[in-house]
Amino acid sequence: MNAIEIRNLSKSFRGMYAVNNLNMTVPVGSIYGFIGENGSGKSTTEKLICGHLVPDSGEIKLFGRDYTDAGVRVRVGALIENAGCFPSSSVYQNLRMQAINLGLPSPDEEIERVLTIVRMEDSATLKFKSCSLGMKQRIGIAMALLGDPALLILDEPINGLDTDGMRIMREILVDITQTYGCTVLISSHILGELEKIATHYGIIRQGRMIQELSAQEMEARARIFTSLKTEDMQGAKQVLTAKFDNVRQEDGYLRVYDVDDTETIVDYLYKNGHVISEIKKNKIGLEEYYVELMSQKENE
Amino acid sequence: MEKSRELTFESPTFFQRIKSMLGVDFYRLFHTPLFYIFLAIAAIIPAMLIAMTGMPGPNGEPSTPLFTNVWQAIAANTPIYGFEGIDKYANLNMVFIFGGIMVSIFIGHDYKSGYVKQLFTTHAKKEDYMISKSLTCAFAMACMCITYLFGAIVAGAITQTSFSVNAGNLICAILGKIFMSLGWASLYTFLNIIFRRYFGISIASSFFFGTGVLVIGIGSIAGNTPMLNVFLYGSSVYACLSANFINVLVCLIVSVAWAGIYNVLGTYILSKSDVY
Repeated sequence: MNAIEIRNLSKSFRGMYAVNNLNMTVPVGSIYGFIGENGSGKSTTEKLICGHLVPDSGEIKLFGRDYTDAGVRVRVGALIENAGCFPSSSVYQNLRMQAINLGLPSPDEEIERVLTIVRMEDSATLKFKSCSLGMKQRIGIAMALLGDPALLILDEPINGLDTDGMRIMREILVDITQTYGCTVLISSHILGELEKIATHYGIIRQGRMIQELSAQEMEARARIFTSLKTEDMQGAKQVLTAKFDNVRQEDGYLRVYDVDDTETIVDYLYKNGHVISEIKKNKIGLEEYYVELMSQKENE
Repeated sequence: MEKSRELTFESPTFFQRIKSMLGVDFYRLFHTPLFYIFLAIAAIIPAMLIAMTGMPGPNGEPSTPLFTNVWQAIAANTPIYGFEGIDKYANLNMVFIFGGIMVSIFIGHDYKSGYVKQLFTTHAKKEDYMISKSLTCAFAMACMCITYLFGAIVAGAITQTSFSVNAGNLICAILGKIFMSLGWASLYTFLNIIFRRYFGISIASSFFFGTGVLVIGIGSIAGNTPMLNVFLYGSSVYACLSANFINVLVCLIVSVAWAGIYNVLGTYILSKSDVY
C-alpha cells in the first residue's frame, strides 16, 4: 500500500495548467522529497492532496482510500505555506483548537508531547505573533503532528530558516519518521538539506512528474568526478581523453567522470608532462543531478 | 510508539465530526475579545435608545423619549414591514445587523489567518464547516439578544420608563427573535463563504441584508402583508409585542428553513470551489 497514489491529476487556473496529468506514488513510511522549480506545481499538488483545491480531473488515493474519506483525512497533518494559526492567540490556544478539531481525548498531554518534539516546551504561553519565523514553522509542524498523523505534508518548511533552524528542523523530521513511522511529503528548494533526509524523490516540471526515484537509485546514479587545473588545460585534456572515457572542460576545470582512483589520474598526467595546480574529488549530488535533468528536459 | 505500526483509519461519524468542529468554534468564540465586545455593544444599543433620547436638549428643553415603554425597544407592538419611523424600526432586530458584522469578522479571520486550511485538511466534509459556523454564530447572536434585553431593562429601570406588558406576548416576541438568530447566522455564514477573507465586503453585504431594506421596500409598496414572513427580516418583525405561540412557530420554521437553504448552498459552493 502506498501513502499517496495520484493518477492523471490535473488542475488549471484560468486555463493555465498548474498540475497537468500528474502521476505520483509515495510509499508508506518514506520521506518523499518533492522537487521542482518555482511554479512547477509542487504547492498546488500538495494543496490538492489536502483538499484545499478542487481538481479538474484525476484520482488521489491516501492509504488506498479516496482522499475525501473522513477517516483517512483526520490522519493527515499539513503545513502549507504557513502554520495557519491565529496571531493574537497563544501557542497553546492554537494547538488546543487543533486538538479539539481532531477530537483528541487528552489534548493537554498531546500538546505537551508535540511541543517537546519540536523543542518548544517552554513557549506554550507565547502569543503566536511574537514568535520568530523558525518558531512559527516549528509550531506549524507541531500542529500537523497532533493526533498521531499517518501522513505529513510539508510545503517548504525550511524556507527562511537560518542554519541552526534548518538543522533543528531536519532532526525533528528524521525523529518523527523514525519514532512514529509517519510518512512525510516534503517540498523544498534547499536540495542539500533535502538530500540529508529524503528516502524518495519526485521531480516535477511544468505540472508533470518527470522522475520518481528512491534514495538508493539516486545514489546509484550519483557520479564521481575529479576536477583539476593544469597550466596547459588543452594539452591535459587531450592526454586524459586518450585514456579516460568521459573528460569535460567545465567551469574552468577539467573534469574526469566515473574514475574513483584520483591517484591514477595524477600519475598519468605527471607521466605525460603535466603538473596539476589544483585537484579535488567530487560527487554529483541531488542538486547537480536535478540541474542536469532539468537541462536535459529543456533540450528535449 | 513503534515505527512499524498498523495503519487503521476509523471514519468519524457525522455527530463526532460536528462535535469536534463545534468544539473548535466555541473555544474560539469564548477566547476572542470580539464576542465580548459585541455582547457589550448589544447591551449599549437599547440603553442609548431608551436613556439618551429622553435626555433634555443642550438648552435644557425637554425632549420626547423614543419609547414610552421599555419593551418597545425589544419589538414593535404590531408587525410593521415597511418603515413607519425609527421607534418602530429600532428594536431587538438591530442585533441581527451588528451580529452580521461579528460573524463576518469571526469567519473572515479563519481565512485571513489560514486556520481554515487546518480545518479543511482534517475535515473532508464541507457541511461540517457550514453547520458548525451557523450554529456557533447563532449562539453568539442569541447571547447578544439576551444582553440587549438586559441593557433595555437596566436603562428602563434607570430612566423609570414603563415596564407594563403582557408577559406571554413579550416572551413569545423574545423567543421568536432568538429563534431567528439561526436563520440570520446561516445567511451571514453563507455570505462569508462567498467573500471569505475579504470581510470588508462581507460586512457590507451583511449590513445590507441585516437592515432588511429589501423587505422594507416591498412592505412599503405592498403594505403589511404576512407573505413577507417568508423572509428572515419579515419573520423577525413578526415576532412583535402582540406575538403568540403561532408567531414563535412561524419564526422557528422560517429560521430553520432558511438555515437549511443557506447551509446546502454554502456546502455546495465550498465543495465546488478552492479554499484560497
